[in-house]
Amino acid sequence: MSASEWFETIKYIIGWALRGSRRYYLAAFGLLLLAVYGLYLWIFMQHAPIFLGSDKGGLILTAMSDSVPWGIYISFFVFWVGVAAAGIVFAIAAYVFNDKEFKKIAVLGEVQAIAALIIVLLLIVVDMGRPIRALFLMPRLPNLRSMLDWDFIVITGYLLINIIGMLVTVHYYRKDKPLPAKFIVPFMVIAAPFAIGIHTVTAFISQALTARPIWNSPLLAPRYVATAFASGPALLLIALYLAERYIEGFKVSIDVYRKTLYISVIATVVGLYFTLSEVQEIFWYTTEPSKLAQAKELFLGLHVPYLAVLMWLWVGLGSAAVIASLIPSTHNNKKAIVAISALIVVAVIAEKTFTIIIPAFIPSTLGEVRPYYPTPIEYGITVGVHALGLLIYLLLSKPAIKAVMTHYFKHGHEH
Amino acid sequence: MIVVPKGSLHNLSRSVDRKRRDLLKAIAVGASVAGISGVLVVDRDKLAKNLKRVSLEDLLRSTAEAESPMEERAKKKEAELKKRYSAEAENICREKGEDSEECKLARKKVELITVKATAPRKGVKYAMALDINKCIGCRRCVYACVMENNQGRNLGIEWIRVLEISREESLELLGSNWYYEEIPKKDKVYVPIACMHCEDPPCVMVCPVKATYKEPDGIVVIDYDVCIGCRYCAVACPYGARRFNWAKPVVPIQELNPNMHILGNIPRQPHVIEKCTWCIQRVRDGGVPACVEVCPVGARVFGDLNDPESPIRRIAEEYGLFVLKPETGAKPKFFYFFGPARTPPSKGER
Ligand code: SF4
Ligand code: SF4
Repeated sequence: MSASEWFETIKYIIGWALRGSRRYYLAAFGLLLLAVYGLYLWIFMQHAPIFLGSDKGGLILTAMSDSVPWGIYISFFVFWVGVAAAGIVFAIAAYVFNDKEFKKIAVLGEVQAIAALIIVLLLIVVDMGRPIRALFLMPRLPNLRSMLDWDFIVITGYLLINIIGMLVTVHYYRKDKPLPAKFIVPFMVIAAPFAIGIHTVTAFISQALTARPIWNSPLLAPRYVATAFASGPALLLIALYLAERYIEGFKVSIDVYRKTLYISVIATVVGLYFTLSEVQEIFWYTTEPSKLAQAKELFLGLHVPYLAVLMWLWVGLGSAAVIASLIPSTHNNKKAIVAISALIVVAVIAEKTFTIIIPAFIPSTLGEVRPYYPTPIEYGITVGVHALGLLIYLLLSKPAIKAVMTHYFKHGHEH
Repeated sequence: MIVVPKGSLHNLSRSVDRKRRDLLKAIAVGASVAGISGVLVVDRDKLAKNLKRVSLEDLLRSTAEAESPMEERAKKKEAELKKRYSAEAENICREKGEDSEECKLARKKVELITVKATAPRKGVKYAMALDINKCIGCRRCVYACVMENNQGRNLGIEWIRVLEISREESLELLGSNWYYEEIPKKDKVYVPIACMHCEDPPCVMVCPVKATYKEPDGIVVIDYDVCIGCRYCAVACPYGARRFNWAKPVVPIQELNPNMHILGNIPRQPHVIEKCTWCIQRVRDGGVPACVEVCPVGARVFGDLNDPESPIRRIAEEYGLFVLKPETGAKPKFFYFFGPARTPPSKGER
């Protein structure tokens, strides 16, 4: 395999990413606009004090404080790590269980992981006070006891793996060749542990801290992984549905939808079960006062009502999705399956953003209750980061699906 | 531990001079503190003992230190700061006139700016203790700390928090209040909290770039030139000790403390974390932290745990030392004790 052929592949990806209907351009342009606006806000906020020495600007424009040192960025960071981790589900179904239908869409899982990981990395960057310094210092002065370093390693590692996975898939499929086994086997052996690893390590960042009683439970990592496998596949189904709708000639059997939904629903059930277990541990008899206080903030929202709203939204929507998925008639209807997926995605966003991060800080280690409501700038930057991630999702899924179609949908019909 | 490199003797004479100056300064500070706090009793014999402690080894060490990269960096910082603040001083002089008091003071301050990189002393392990029975919650330590350590005035950073806790409750911090206004109240206790300089500091374990670390003398420091502002340490600290510079911190020259240590009270950059350093700029020169010096009721005791004569050892033996939130496993080196007002010291037995 020569280098020029790989160069052709990259050209192929860029070519297809930039080709599309008016609607495609419109969507891409809108996302780009949001992303640029977010970037502008970030430069204004983060770099004014550092590079211009100005006393305007700075992270002081966020609602974070010494009591609540992490906010909306880290909240969504946790959610997207989960989405990225679940990208592997399609690949497992395709290559481990050798399911032909899943082979058509495994690459979509990789694309989703790439987009999610870019969101993840950007969210860390915008959260950091001195990101440029970090770029130089993290590799030079690693602290192997710091979970943040490990998280960085596994996240960039997993990103790399997914980029390779996508490139190779496009490379072979565009020439109508099957993926070679000598690629698939090592790929799966490396990628699967990494997928679990990114989320486990992300949970390890917080769960071993005695300073934060509500995190300080070995259930945190399993809970992260469980809801990751609920939201990730659900999001993939939505993307898949949109792809079927907007890309002519791209059709996937309802089997794929059904099986993916099973995974997602089972993971949701496990997640709900973990929540139940946590509630019992905290509320049934007695518990450490500060943990109880934080749990009350989370479930009753004494000072930050939105936490309780989100937590109960998770319980409510999660249960609703599970119940809806039990109705037999939903199983033969793509639209119904996608609707259930959407429910699950919303439920997991409710469970895995603010509700994970914020209660650990309210009340703080010294008992201070300082409610946290993100400022417009924080929302703006978060939206910008997400826009960029979704743009990447959009641009990469196009060539990926085109390549898949070359291999699996010759002359407009399946073979 | 400092290792003296071979061949570092050649500029010994220079350092001897410097060391002597430092030592005299240290003695002066020590003596004045004894007068104020009433906890330390300094007499001639004790001073003589102190004098003896400076050995040739110490002198050699300070030579090595003169060449250490930290020292180099401190020199650079000093030049930078002088430049920055003399611009500010000139502004003041232009506004208020050349012979105004303000102008003179500002220029004097610029002249006085020194940035040290004093290394830890050998065999020393610092600790602090606070008498909960004595503390009246006046917050004078908080203000002294702000002044001494050049904390960003515009950001309202205060390293020390004084919690007001009801006497009825156990030392549970949940019901605490640090915005109280009247003092002292009969039914309250006051618990000042700052960095505990933990033996197993979670903040140090989590820092992704080793910007914060524990020095051999027990002081947990932050290298402000390395901190990337991730605030993971603030999340990990069980004692809410860390403060972040959420914007550019400003300390006007009139309020600047020119006696600085590069790991301590040197003016901070935007978006780095900071916390109590036990006044590293003072204690490494033999002094005591500002809070100990200023406390009007002498509630604070500071000293070397390894020195059987140190005040902290006396407190430990007589009253016993307690830590806050032992369940976090961080092993604080900041202790609380219950002094004579409520718990009479054990007499005779020892
Ligand atoms: S009190 Fe907090 S900041 Fe200080 S050493 Fe302990 S963990 Fe670190
Ligand atoms: S904020 Fe600075 S000192 Fe604290 S963990 Fe991050 S890099 Fe380390």
